[in-house]
Amino acid sequence: MLRFTVSKVLNGAKNGPKTLTVLTRWQSDQAKKPEKIEVFIDDKSVMVEPGTTVLQAAALVGVEIPRFCYHERLAVAGNCRMCLVEVEKSPKPVAACAMPVMKGWRVKTDSEMTRKAREGVMEFLLVNHPLDCPICDQGGECDLQDQSMAFGSDRSRFVDNDFSGKRAVEDKDIGPLIKTTMTRCIHCTRCIRFASEVAGVDDLGTTGRGSDMQVGTYIEKLFLSELSGNIIDLCPVGALTSKPYSFTARPWEIRKVDSIDVLDAVGSNIVVSTRTGEVLRIMPRINEEINEEWLSDKSRFAYDGLKRQRLVTPMLRDSSGELKPVDWEAALLTVGKQIKNAGDKIGAVAGGFADAELLISVKDLLNRLGSENLCTEHVFPMDGSGTDLRSSYLLNNKIAGAEEADLVLLVGTNPRLEAPLLNSRLRKAYIHKELEVAMIGPEVDLRYEYEHLGADPNVLKNIASGSHAFAKKLKSAKRPLIIVGSDTLERPDGAAILASVQALASSASPQEKSWKVLNVLHKVASQVAALDIGYTPGVEKIRNGNLKVVFLLGADEGAITKEDLPKDCFVIYQGHHGDRGALLADAVLPGAAYTEKQATYVNTEGRAQQTLVAVTPPGRAREDWKIVRALSEVVGEKLPYDNLDEIRDRLEQVAPHLTRYGRAENANYFKQAAALAKSANLDSTPLDVKIKELKDFYMTDSISRASPTMAKCVQAALKQKEAKC
Amino acid sequence: MLRSALVPCKDSLSNTNLLRSVVGGFGNVQLKRNQSTQPATQQEVRPWSPHTKDKNNLAEYAFARLDDLLNWGRKGSIWPLTFGLACCAVEMMHIAAPRYDMDRYGVVFRASPRQADVILVAGTLTNKMAPALRKVYDQMPEPRWVVSMGSCANGGGYYHYSYSVVRGCDRIIPVDIYVPGCPPTAEALLYGVLQLQKKVKRMNTLSMWYRK
Amino acid sequence: MANYFGLSAITNFFKTISSHGGLRASLAKMYRMDSVRMGTCVGTDKYGNKYYENKSYFYGRNRWIEYAPYYALEYDGSQIPAEWFGWMHYKTDLIPSQDPSRPQYKWMTDHTENLTGTPGQYMPYSTTRPKIEAWSPTKA
Repeated sequence: MLRFTVSKVLNGAKNGPKTLTVLTRWQSDQAKKPEKIEVFIDDKSVMVEPGTTVLQAAALVGVEIPRFCYHERLAVAGNCRMCLVEVEKSPKPVAACAMPVMKGWRVKTDSEMTRKAREGVMEFLLVNHPLDCPICDQGGECDLQDQSMAFGSDRSRFVDNDFSGKRAVEDKDIGPLIKTTMTRCIHCTRCIRFASEVAGVDDLGTTGRGSDMQVGTYIEKLFLSELSGNIIDLCPVGALTSKPYSFTARPWEIRKVDSIDVLDAVGSNIVVSTRTGEVLRIMPRINEEINEEWLSDKSRFAYDGLKRQRLVTPMLRDSSGELKPVDWEAALLTVGKQIKNAGDKIGAVAGGFADAELLISVKDLLNRLGSENLCTEHVFPMDGSGTDLRSSYLLNNKIAGAEEADLVLLVGTNPRLEAPLLNSRLRKAYIHKELEVAMIGPEVDLRYEYEHLGADPNVLKNIASGSHAFAKKLKSAKRPLIIVGSDTLERPDGAAILASVQALASSASPQEKSWKVLNVLHKVASQVAALDIGYTPGVEKIRNGNLKVVFLLGADEGAITKEDLPKDCFVIYQGHHGDRGALLADAVLPGAAYTEKQATYVNTEGRAQQTLVAVTPPGRAREDWKIVRALSEVVGEKLPYDNLDEIRDRLEQVAPHLTRYGRAENANYFKQAAALAKSANLDSTPLDVKIKELKDFYMTDSISRASPTMAKCVQAALKQKEAKC
Repeated sequence: MLRSALVPCKDSLSNTNLLRSVVGGFGNVQLKRNQSTQPATQQEVRPWSPHTKDKNNLAEYAFARLDDLLNWGRKGSIWPLTFGLACCAVEMMHIAAPRYDMDRYGVVFRASPRQADVILVAGTLTNKMAPALRKVYDQMPEPRWVVSMGSCANGGGYYHYSYSVVRGCDRIIPVDIYVPGCPPTAEALLYGVLQLQKKVKRMNTLSMWYRK
Repeated sequence: MANYFGLSAITNFFKTISSHGGLRASLAKMYRMDSVRMGTCVGTDKYGNKYYENKSYFYGRNRWIEYAPYYALEYDGSQIPAEWFGWMHYKTDLIPSQDPSRPQYKWMTDHTENLTGTPGQYMPYSTTRPKIEAWSPTKA
């Protein structure tokens, strides 16, 4: 299943399963520092650790060696031969990606021999590669195209295929996301390595050999994984391209905007490609702290949901009970009148996509009106220290920190589908280090083995008391992690679970002081910011408040229904998609989606990041906080900020970390939180998660529910499941 | 405020309205075609004022007449600001000359936006000129109108695909009257001004103020 | 002789007034059309507009239209039908009834005036699919 990297094999005997190809943060601290050796790259001296490959050594001095099959985050395959370089006193050129440097080697990356070798390799690669660049989606961002320009020859000596034709390979159907044109494949096997190493879905592989070699799925099946889209980025040629993006645009026509993904709580860094005011595709942006260079399929492909079911104009429910489009003036006046009449009988529910600016402006407005009924749609236990101490609701040890763990206890969470990129970290640690994973909750497929401790929450108590076998492991673990899913904490006994987890976490004894055992994994992007700003998790207040006006801030998950509210309650929905929330509403105020506003989101680690404006909001939709600001003037409680800077100053007043973009502030007071926690009796109903299988993963929020691509994915996942049984 | 009083809010985004305008566009032709070719002399005499004649609500009636008076004053002295950008500007000059003689409608060219009621955008609006146009428009006092003259100002025209041309001045300022042509004749522009007069006549500033 | 002393202007003035049927009627005409001119009616179109000509005025002003009474003050150049347009603009000197080269086909539609600003106005619409599909509440 796993191909061990060359360096791993070389160092295997001494250092245990530790790879050098997988770069980690604390690697250098932990390994015993071996003596550095000197090598010369193009006569430039560089000191490297033993086991470094020629390619890595060259990168250290800024020499980039061309490559197709080599990828930093994947095992070394060494099969494209593009990285051949000359080494002095070596009779043959060596493959730089796979060859560890030896002391005193003089590598020549631009010698006659190297150039000739590259030219030869290019010639071989192009024997069977079709010349269909004009109709290939990869054109303009194709490694093969670029490198044949840089290193290739202008003609080929292989002329016999002028008569016999080039090799042709049948295209595979591997799902609704990835379009294959297998004739273009150059057999770099990056996709295969990604599937087996990172995604953990060992579906891709090669059959045949020589010129009959084919990359495929062995038997006809779909390549379904929550990370499958990444093989599109990995493919150096146009063999694997994005199906939804096919034939849409060329890379030089599109405008790229750096942004943040909000479809899960991970807060992956993304690049939004737009042209003519339309989001064309979303690609990952490298951020070693969060998503490395991967992106989950939902984040990558749900963008077409941004073009459907949108709220483009304000709407008011007329006397016949139908929502009718109106202009902003009428909508604001009506809504303002209702709010004025309601007085302090007003509440707000924040949904999963609400940004910090919106949250703070609504909070300020409602507080001015004398109301404290500010809730989030997703429940979090309020007993004990509740949300007062940040440490009890953050993924304290950070996403990158998950890689360093040696023992992980998952409590009622399915990280594979709730936070695919966290799961890829865990899997990485599982494979490359000796991570042990245990799970309390439903038996879900995480694509790595774990010890299942049952679904009964009382197991937590047993571990804490030491009567469970796992307790010993937890005690002896040097870097243990406990990850609690937000689903679990939404249970009625969520507070008890959190309390027992907190107790458990404080009983563990990590080696380092800074190691945080307790981690909470959220599912929606807005939750942490909402709790930071001071929203109350859960909608109890709204249900019991006998309110006259309820403000839904993109709350679409059905936490509030018509039955929960008094009959004369006026419901305002502010959001970007017409979904469950908008159906309830008496007034709809169209807001902007995450690609359309500059807004702050805080991910589950507590890291504040901001999205940037890629396209303008459609129709009459406006940036969310501006709507609230305009409304406040109609209501007569003018909010004191007129532009983004001013509202961010206000955010900083409330919680300074909200404007420190890119940084995750550490939370503390674990002990105090644990001390404040009241231990209550645990329910014996088994722990459960909402997203169990891949088919549940694709459509979880108003954007992905509106996305046709995601609908196709669900269909494909169902089809695959049927075919299996 | 004034502008919203001028134009009743039409929601072009909703599908039903779109459908209606599509059907309306073709439906009218159908209607006309089925008419007899006999002279239609039995038509009602057209009223002078587009506003209410209902005397039951005396206040409304009074404000309607006040509006009429105000509109009469406004439409009788429409002072345009010349915003000549290209060849259309030459045709624009012609309406000032004796043959078309705009003065007889009370139309007098002004050189300052602060004295003008209407801006005549005559010619190709380039990206570089666009901020200037907006600035000049912003300097005009309310109520103000915009006449877009010629294909280039209407929608970019011949230069629609140019890298440096705004595809219609309505991307910068709200246009009231579009005068088609490349360039439009002076007569066409004058007709446009007369259409603007009609539009001014439909304003109900005071009635709206009263109703609020 | 009288012409040299501008006396013809005076006689014309009285002639014009009397041709319109007195001072009152002339003032009414003045109010409606801003000019009182004397001429021969060369034709009437099917909408009731009357077309006048007086060759003694200089070219460009010697043909004019008197719009049908029901238009009142709401008259407009677009109310001149196509068949009279040419005569009004000196493209031809033959009025439609005298012009033999004016075919009448069945498919020719009736003349419409400019409906801008009325409910019948033409509204441009896009034939391309919108980039953003709006949510319609009735659908759900």
